[in-house]
Amino acid sequence: MDASEREQYQAAIHGDREAFEMIIRTHSRALFAIAYGILQNREEAEDVVQDSLVRAWKTRWRVRDPEKFPAWLAAIARYRAHDVLRRRRTIPLPPETIEISETEAIDPTTLDLQLHSALAALPELHRAALTLRYFEEMDYRTIENTLGLTNGALRGILGRALASMRKQLRPVLASTD
Amino acid sequence: MGTVHNEIDNWLAANLYGELSEEEQRQLHTHLVDCAACRKTHQETKTMNKILEETLAQQKPDPTFEQRMLASFRQRIPERSGPIKLLADLMRLRAAQVTAVAAVLLGLVQLGRMITGETATAPGARDRYANEQLLEQPAQMAGSEPARTGALDKSDELAAGKPKDLALAAPQSSSESRSKLQRDFKAFPATVAPAEAAQAEMAAKETGSEPQAMSYAAEQSAAETPAPEVANRKLIRNATVELEIVNFDDAVQKITALAKEERGYVATTDSQKQANGKLRGEVVVKVLPENLDRFLQKVRGFGELKNQTLGTEDVTKAYFDTDARLKNARVMEQRLIDMLKTKTGKVSDLLQVEKELGRVREEIEKMQGELKYWDSQVQFATVTISLAEKDMEEPAAFLLKERAQLALYAPDVEKIYNDIKALASAKVQITNAQLNRDYSGRVSAQMSMLIAPEESEAVIARTKGFGRVENFQTQTERIAQGGEGMSENARTKRDKVQLNITISREEQEQALQQTSLRIRTSSVDEKPKELRALAEKQGGRVRSSSFSRDPDGREFANVSLRVPMKNYPALIQSLNSLGKVENVSVQRQDRTGTQVDEANAPADISIQVYSQGNIVSHESGLLATLRRTLAQSAGAIMWSLRMIGVAVAFLGPWVIALIALIWITRRVIRARQSRS
Repeated sequence: MDASEREQYQAAIHGDREAFEMIIRTHSRALFAIAYGILQNREEAEDVVQDSLVRAWKTRWRVRDPEKFPAWLAAIARYRAHDVLRRRRTIPLPPETIEISETEAIDPTTLDLQLHSALAALPELHRAALTLRYFEEMDYRTIENTLGLTNGALRGILGRALASMRKQLRPVLASTD
Repeated sequence: MGTVHNEIDNWLAANLYGELSEEEQRQLHTHLVDCAACRKTHQETKTMNKILEETLAQQKPDPTFEQRMLASFRQRIPERSGPIKLLADLMRLRAAQVTAVAAVLLGLVQLGRMITGETATAPGARDRYANEQLLEQPAQMAGSEPARTGALDKSDELAAGKPKDLALAAPQSSSESRSKLQRDFKAFPATVAPAEAAQAEMAAKETGSEPQAMSYAAEQSAAETPAPEVANRKLIRNATVELEIVNFDDAVQKITALAKEERGYVATTDSQKQANGKLRGEVVVKVLPENLDRFLQKVRGFGELKNQTLGTEDVTKAYFDTDARLKNARVMEQRLIDMLKTKTGKVSDLLQVEKELGRVREEIEKMQGELKYWDSQVQFATVTISLAEKDMEEPAAFLLKERAQLALYAPDVEKIYNDIKALASAKVQITNAQLNRDYSGRVSAQMSMLIAPEESEAVIARTKGFGRVENFQTQTERIAQGGEGMSENARTKRDKVQLNITISREEQEQALQQTSLRIRTSSVDEKPKELRALAEKQGGRVRSSSFSRDPDGREFANVSLRVPMKNYPALIQSLNSLGKVENVSVQRQDRTGTQVDEANAPADISIQVYSQGNIVSHESGLLATLRRTLAQSAGAIMWSLRMIGVAVAFLGPWVIALIALIWITRRVIRARQSRS
């Protein structure tokens, strides 16, 4: 993290609105990626990002170390997304998304659906890591920093995530080849 | 290669996302060439990555996403503007925060002081309250008692007027007037205070406006006398003047001369001589009314004016009434005389007429006298001049009062007591004599006597000779009689001398010098006797002695001696004959400020005579040493155990409290983290 970034975070913590808006510009896509990874729903993810930003502004004084600001922001987004997810779980899913017969022809929509259900089967953290990678094309180190992971942990996480999805999508993959 | 195969998923993912180093890439490729299963997995992964990229690309946020986020943020958290923003910005500074905390603390302190009712806070409110009170109270007084007459009404008005003045003055002058107000306000509950204040104010006004009032009176009289309609008015004028002058006779002469000059005369003079030779008196002068004012002016110049009053009494009506009645009475008299002249009627009637005539004549004479008196009063104004010489208060004489305190030490108190009692005579009177003896045999005596002044020196000198003087004090007081202050030619007279004597036994006297020393000798037994003999030779006494022997065979004799100071060096010298003198310490108590007869003052010497004895303990040998060592170590261990126990008891609660505090803090921090 370079000095100017650090200064920006410091200013934002101390209530500088312009600095905070700048952070919104640079970080909201990453937040969206995290939220989307967890929720798999764009509208909800957007709401989560908005809520997280407001909440972050209101509780910015809690951050002691400006270095940790992005990770803290990401943590807020994750917790909020998780809250939304928990609330949604009580509502039953529409029946058509549950089962897809293997025999059916593979049209793009079924592929899409299968992919999403495979994603949904992953742990939340794995999904968040994946979306960060695919949406923002971040390298491992940045993703680790953003999600507050220890160095090198992401390698295993992404590996396991891909393996798990591969197993789920094996029939589809076989047919597309 | 095993590792690559086992973790093929991680390797493939990293490969996919470009996180493999060149070396790692080479390793992976080597493995993929070897292992068919992994190749298949690699293929699948690549396909899936493509699908994922395609699918998720659709879900990426649109380009206006950031703008939307910003807009919603701005909408939900509107930017504060104006003073609130400024304040918020300011509060971000550390200095401002510190100041704010300090201000809040100060405010709390101030609030506390106000609640507890300490003074010097919120002065504005209190002053207003005081003013209101001051304004209300006299108004009520004046309202509730309207039936009062002249002077009282006036005082009420003044009382009402005064606080108003104060109230007006209060806002202008800050601290001074406030303190005055507060003083007034404190005195308020006593309700008498306003009246007092009013009186004081009145007095102040009168003295202040005295010249004005006088000039006003002068103008009035000057205006009255020359006016034509006043000419046949009958006015009695009189004045009183109080003067302080240097010499009474001079003043009287001057006044007489002045009275003649103003065509008046001195009616009466009287004077009294005071005890201090000063004169005080009164001169009554009659002057023509038209000259009165000029006369007063001149009289005032003779000395310092203390007081002056000027009064005019209008007797016109009474005068002319009396005059009319007199005329009637004269007519009546004439008629009665005519009746007698005709001499008709009975004798008894004539007698009746004669009697009536007598009564009428008596009345006429009374009225004539009255008129004549008024005439004289009107013709001359009366001026009463009170004269007093300066320094009236000077004392006439002084009385010298002497008091003496004498403290004596004597070997036999009772004998001295009786000796002093025997001194009593006509000129030496014992007023109080007291001999005290308590159960421990201590004797003391107290006596008081009055001595005629001419005898006092001799008696005091004799009394001093009876014992050793510890302390002697005299005190002379000059009392002024018939006045105060100082006077150059007042006589001074000596009064009786009062002498208080305290006699105590010598034993009770504190020694001037205290010496302690040790004498080492081989045989202790005989020494106390020798010491006694030595002390008696030097005119001293043994006060106490003791003898002891300790288990180690050492012997001690403690002897305490008292000798007069003059023999002290000789005694110390002679002690050398008894043995080796050691550890001499001398302590001297100089009582400054008192006259002490040093040669005869007592000196105390406490002497310890001791022998070396056999120093080696009879408990010796290996076994005893061992036992002692063991016992001492056991004692030391017990002591440390006890100390450890004490330390634990002291520190334990603190340690527990500290641990509890740390635990709670960590819990709170964790809870807060998990919430955000």
